[in-house]
Amino acid sequence: MTWPLRALLGPMLWAAAFSAIYAVHGLGCALDWPARPAPVGDLHRFALISLWLASLMGGALILWRMPKAGDAGGRIARAGGWIGFLAILLTLFPVLGLTTCG
Amino acid sequence: MIPPRPNPPQNALRLHRELDRVWGRPPGLRGFLSSVNHSELGLRFMIAAFVFFAVAGMLAMLIRTQLATPGGAFLDTAHYNQIFTMHGSIMMFLFAIPMLEGLGMYLLPKMLGARDLAFPRLSAFGWWCYLFGGAIILLALLAGVAPDGGWFMYTPLSSKTYSPGINADVWLLGITFVEVSAVAAAVEIIVTVLRMRAPGMRLTDMPLMAWYMLGTAAMMLVGFPPLILGSVLLEIERAFGWPFFDVARGGDPLLWQHLFWLFGHPEVYIIFLPAAGAISTILPVMCRTRIMGYGAIVAAVLGLVFLSFGLWVHHMFAVGIPHMALAFFSAASALVAVPTAVQIFAWIGTMWQGRPQMRLPMLHLMGFFSTFVMGGLTGVMLAIVPFNWQAHDTAFVTAHLHYVLIGGFVFPMMAAAVYWLPLFSGCARVKGVGEAAFWLILTGFHGTFLIMHLTGLLGMPRRIDAYPDNPEWILPNLVSSLFGFVMAMGFALFLLDLLLQVVFGSRARRDPWEAGTLEWAMPMPAPSYNIASLPLPGQTALDLARGEGMLPGAPRDRRETLVVEALGGAPRHVAVLPENTLLPVVTAAVIGGFVLLMLFGFYRPAAVALAAIALTAWQWQGFMGCRRDAGPVEVSPGLRLPPNWAVEDGLARTGLVCLLIANGTLFACFLFAVGFLSVIAPNWPAPESGPGTARAAIPAGLLLLSLLAASALARLSLARGASAALLALGAALAAAGLLAAGLDDPTRHARDALRAAGLGYVVLHVGIALMLALLCLVQRRDGRIAPGRVSAWPVWRIWQDYTLATTAVLTGLVAAQEVLS
Repeated sequence: MTWPLRALLGPMLWAAAFSAIYAVHGLGCALDWPARPAPVGDLHRFALISLWLASLMGGALILWRMPKAGDAGGRIARAGGWIGFLAILLTLFPVLGLTTCG
Repeated sequence: MIPPRPNPPQNALRLHRELDRVWGRPPGLRGFLSSVNHSELGLRFMIAAFVFFAVAGMLAMLIRTQLATPGGAFLDTAHYNQIFTMHGSIMMFLFAIPMLEGLGMYLLPKMLGARDLAFPRLSAFGWWCYLFGGAIILLALLAGVAPDGGWFMYTPLSSKTYSPGINADVWLLGITFVEVSAVAAAVEIIVTVLRMRAPGMRLTDMPLMAWYMLGTAAMMLVGFPPLILGSVLLEIERAFGWPFFDVARGGDPLLWQHLFWLFGHPEVYIIFLPAAGAISTILPVMCRTRIMGYGAIVAAVLGLVFLSFGLWVHHMFAVGIPHMALAFFSAASALVAVPTAVQIFAWIGTMWQGRPQMRLPMLHLMGFFSTFVMGGLTGVMLAIVPFNWQAHDTAFVTAHLHYVLIGGFVFPMMAAAVYWLPLFSGCARVKGVGEAAFWLILTGFHGTFLIMHLTGLLGMPRRIDAYPDNPEWILPNLVSSLFGFVMAMGFALFLLDLLLQVVFGSRARRDPWEAGTLEWAMPMPAPSYNIASLPLPGQTALDLARGEGMLPGAPRDRRETLVVEALGGAPRHVAVLPENTLLPVVTAAVIGGFVLLMLFGFYRPAAVALAAIALTAWQWQGFMGCRRDAGPVEVSPGLRLPPNWAVEDGLARTGLVCLLIANGTLFACFLFAVGFLSVIAPNWPAPESGPGTARAAIPAGLLLLSLLAASALARLSLARGASAALLALGAALAAAGLLAAGLDDPTRHARDALRAAGLGYVVLHVGIALMLALLCLVQRRDGRIAPGRVSAWPVWRIWQDYTLATTAVLTGLVAAQEVLS
């Protein structure tokens, strides 16, 4: 895989995770998922946290598979991986605590 | 492959005459109308953008005059509404975007070592669309029927019930017309940056300006389609009553807000990134050093391109969205400050390591720093939900956005205009007037807008034309108005300075700033062909003028330039670019006619105009391909490359992929609209479907099977399946007709309107596929598609697959709706 594609992987994963979690959030509120039980907590929060953790793991995997050494392109690709991982971590962490549909 | 080597030197004057004969244009009106040259078109974009800037600036002064006193009788409310709407719309759509397009169009081929942009006719088409669209909007202002619903045209205010005149239609149709120009420019820029760099120039060797323009163009491809979709849906609602935004019939005004801000927030970064590119180019020259942190800046651009699409809801914090969703967008809005800060610190570091010289471009850059950083900080304040609720829709937001846009775009663009003026005009600047203009603008700007933060915090809402009951707003408004006029005088002086230099300036010496970058390696002003030969690493301006680079002169009397591999810059083939033609202006005029017919409600003649558009579009293929084997071209000693019609991976294919990214984004936004209305909008579920699922299943199946067959036929080598595919596509159109006949009344409910719109999307794509199949059939017969000559075949194949995929998704969506309902 070329370095521009590697550089895009992390941000694209963030874009997909952000869209998916926002969509599941809206869907869950419309279908009253907070009132339905799940193995941990309610179905809505369980789905949101599961998606967030899966996305974080995906971001970590991208970082882990990134070649360690490299030229300027390799460094930009690694930066892309970090952008994706940190963006997933920081923009979606509200799934942990805030009220879902209030 | 043989590595590129220098060509033997030739007579520079002979090369110049040969190239100018091939790449130049005839004098007079015909030459003006038919020119496809990127330098000329880029300059036209920038000049027109400055004219629109002046118009919008005058409108701003009318606004400030009205607000200087609490009960201003200068304008009535109706005219005031038109004027603030037009001020915002012109600044965003007719100044900022075209200005950056023009700068990119003019500079990129020169910075990358190419002779023109990838699709010169598309550049010209974009220019005429911009001019005609802008003219429609300006004429509406003169006629007193300008848009008056605010530059973001919120529904239901902009719906037929509350805006019954043509004011809103002018915005929806005129701006969409201009957006066609923006998408065309985005495709041009991406393909040029990826495929038309100088041989051997790797992506990581590119000037930062090219990275910024690449990021900008990618954002335009993804950012403009949501607004195009929203505008089309709203215009259809206004014209035919299909209720996409009407709550009573299953629509939702919030859908408009989502679609608008999906475009609107990235738009801020679309405007900022090229300006940042100009800063990254000019600042090191002014500081006599190299840019600090090239890789970090490229990574920051990457971060901005993506993160800026996760902020749009921060414009909607007050509409009643659940707290968790607010928190996602609040966090993203704060996070986006990080890549912006990375750039700011890289620029500060560059100044720290260099020796800044306070020449005029540097003064404007200082204006940028002092203004934009403050705008960025108020942006972080507005990203915080509780503060946003307090400041929402107040003059604080107006002050913030002017700090960001004038700081982040206008100051860098003024620096760019002054810096590159010798290249544009060949004239040297005269000191004095420009410096005075800068200080007037800086003082006037901060005097106007710094205090406006306070006006907003005192509670003054945006867009009111009088405030007789609020004496606490009188003084800050008067101060803003007075300084507003100081700023206006500064801008007038700035434009006068440019004009004086172009008219009276002495001849500039080459590379007057001693920048040493590629764009200064050509004669000033730049000739029609840019450079006599395409640069190899380490070659000087003299080497290039004597034809020692690749592809010297125009020995075959064709407009030739090199196409390289996207990543490493290895030469791949020779692109033969089209010559001057009237087709772009004619096509834009026909589309302009369609827009005007729609505007005045002549819908049946508008359908005829659609056929005229298709007919004109067909004429564009006349230039494509070659009817005989011309053989490879020797670009440097021993290195022979094929022409573009002999390769599959040509510029047209890259361009089509870019276009399909934009098209796919529009399609994804349509799916979002379906999902949003189905899940969020009130008055759902929709009424029972009249014809029923079973009756629609047969034509839907036939449609899919026909498209599947056409896709398979398009794969047959050298378009052998074109004639059979025409039959399959005809069957697909017939099946779509059956589906249309069985549709529920689209005015009944939003679901029915969405289904009709989805079917319209499919019919449009099948129609274009039919034209492409017909084109391939014609080209097979006249020899343009033959062994060794692929011409339009790869383009048809990709389009056919895209049409099949989107039709399958839409069919599946309707089936899922029926099963779940």
